Amino acid sequence: MRDVVLWLSGAALAFLVTAGAFLLLANLATAPSEKSLNPDGAPGGSGHTLDLQLDRERLASLEPLPDQSLDLAVENEGDEQLTHVNVTLIVSSENTALSDPRYYRQTVEKLPVGGTASVRFEFDLLAPEQPVAIPPAANPEPPREILELRATTPDGNSTVRTVILPP
Amino acid sequence: MLSRVASVGRFALAVLSIAAVLAVGCAHADEEVSIEPLAPASGRVDPGLGPGTRALSSGPGYKASPSWSPGGGRIAFTVDGYVVDKPTGSGDRRRWTTRDFIAEDTEWESDDALMILGAALPSGTEEMSSSLYRARAGEDSLELERVERDVSAIAPAREGLIFALGSGTRESGLALTRGAGKIHRLYSRPIDGHVTSLSLSPDGDEAVLAVRPPGDPEISGLHTFDLRKGKGREITRLDGNQEILGTPQWTEQGIYFVAGERSKPVDSGGSEPLYEIFRVPEEGGAPETAPGVGEDFVAASIRVSPDGERLAVIGRLNPKSPTNLYVLDPLIEDFTAVTTNEDMEIKTGPDDLAWSPGGKSVAVIARGTPSTEPEVRADPADRLLRDFYNLYEIPVGGSEEPQR
Repeated sequence: MRDVVLWLSGAALAFLVTAGAFLLLANLATAPSEKSLNPDGAPGGSGHTLDLQLDRERLASLEPLPDQSLDLAVENEGDEQLTHVNVTLIVSSENTALSDPRYYRQTVEKLPVGGTASVRFEFDLLAPEQPVAIPPAANPEPPREILELRATTPDGNSTVRTVILPP
Repeated sequence: MLSRVASVGRFALAVLSIAAVLAVGCAHADEEVSIEPLAPASGRVDPGLGPGTRALSSGPGYKASPSWSPGGGRIAFTVDGYVVDKPTGSGDRRRWTTRDFIAEDTEWESDDALMILGAALPSGTEEMSSSLYRARAGEDSLELERVERDVSAIAPAREGLIFALGSGTRESGLALTRGAGKIHRLYSRPIDGHVTSLSLSPDGDEAVLAVRPPGDPEISGLHTFDLRKGKGREITRLDGNQEILGTPQWTEQGIYFVAGERSKPVDSGGSEPLYEIFRVPEEGGAPETAPGVGEDFVAASIRVSPDGERLAVIGRLNPKSPTNLYVLDPLIEDFTAVTTNEDMEIKTGPDDLAWSPGGKSVAVIARGTPSTEPEVRADPADRLLRDFYNLYEIPVGGSEEPQR
């Protein structure tokens, strides 16, 4: 009986000692080892330095034809002048089996604090031809076209706008 | 005195050994490993389909035919005709078929092999005929191994797959695969008519088939087939221009199927709904409207739970209601709305819902109502959910153990 009591009190004491030791060790580590993760997958930054402004009326007037153009405004909302801001446009179809996306790129050389630069893209919005006749059961709806615009600073901050155009 | 010293010694030994065990047990085996960022689709979201709903896919593409892996860790589906799968948690998609292949349906043979019903796109005027293929995970190329030509329907079976053979209208056959896509049993006795869909009984010994009888333009015949005896029979035939929609489901309380008049418009304003759920006993007879389901209910698709005790139903309470997910318990005739969504379009294809192996949740495909104006979003296209048809896991309760 006495042995049992001894083992139980020993176990309780050991638990308290070990728990205390681990608490002490945990508090000694002051800096977290993991970096905060950027959900956008951008190499760094919060992604709020740039703003992309689109004209909804112009978007509504886009047609599924070649030689379409789109103007957008890139605004520096940060507190440092930016240079070499890359602006990309990816044109793709909602039907992911149809074709590969088409890529376009422009560069804004200088963007002062609070400044806005206008960027024009001229691109092909013609729906890609289906390489073969796909049965309607695979996708019975006319696919929508998707424009993905991304402005990226040299240090990796980026801002994205995705436009889904009705068929 | 000696006994006192011994007691203190034992106490000290106890303290030291327990502390050692605790310290070793709590220690890290390795250095810290970096945590992969969760894709937005892997978190719990409320896309309008109720709390606890989880997105299983994201981005553009017309998705269909979800199928959970036997262990429940992955889900396969078709996107614009090709086959992909992805972990049900976070992780990237794997693509299983090429752009020139159109998949109609896909089922898991094991946790690392898929059986795919589909066809390579024909060149010129060549007629398209579906075949059954097998694909293995982890292989570099997207090559498929053809198991059989002229296959009209597939369904998971115990340790393999059951499929219907025959491209003609007069007769069909059945076969079972088991292990590495090999045909384990080919049933010699033919079925009159063309089998369009099939599924197994809860014990896996019988199959129920939707059949287009010879000379009939509609899928009006319901057959059962005993897989042990290799014999089948017609258990009911629908009158008029009524047609069976999708795959009939064999529950512990009888066989359920969706049927209606295909030609009747959905919003005709009539009191009779377009498609209803019917029940017929295993022995056969005249079908009756499924008890427990409201008389105005418009059914789209049904799927039996892995234990055979519940039916997941996609449909509308009446022709003007939004589409939602319901669960019918045929034993107690209880019909419960799982979602009460007003603004999401739940896809109503006959194969667009699937139970998880444990029967705890159902995968459906849904999207927000598309706009007629350009929509602008602040996320990349491949992370968008509501703008495109995507898969969602909706909890429905039930057992946790996989049934297969």
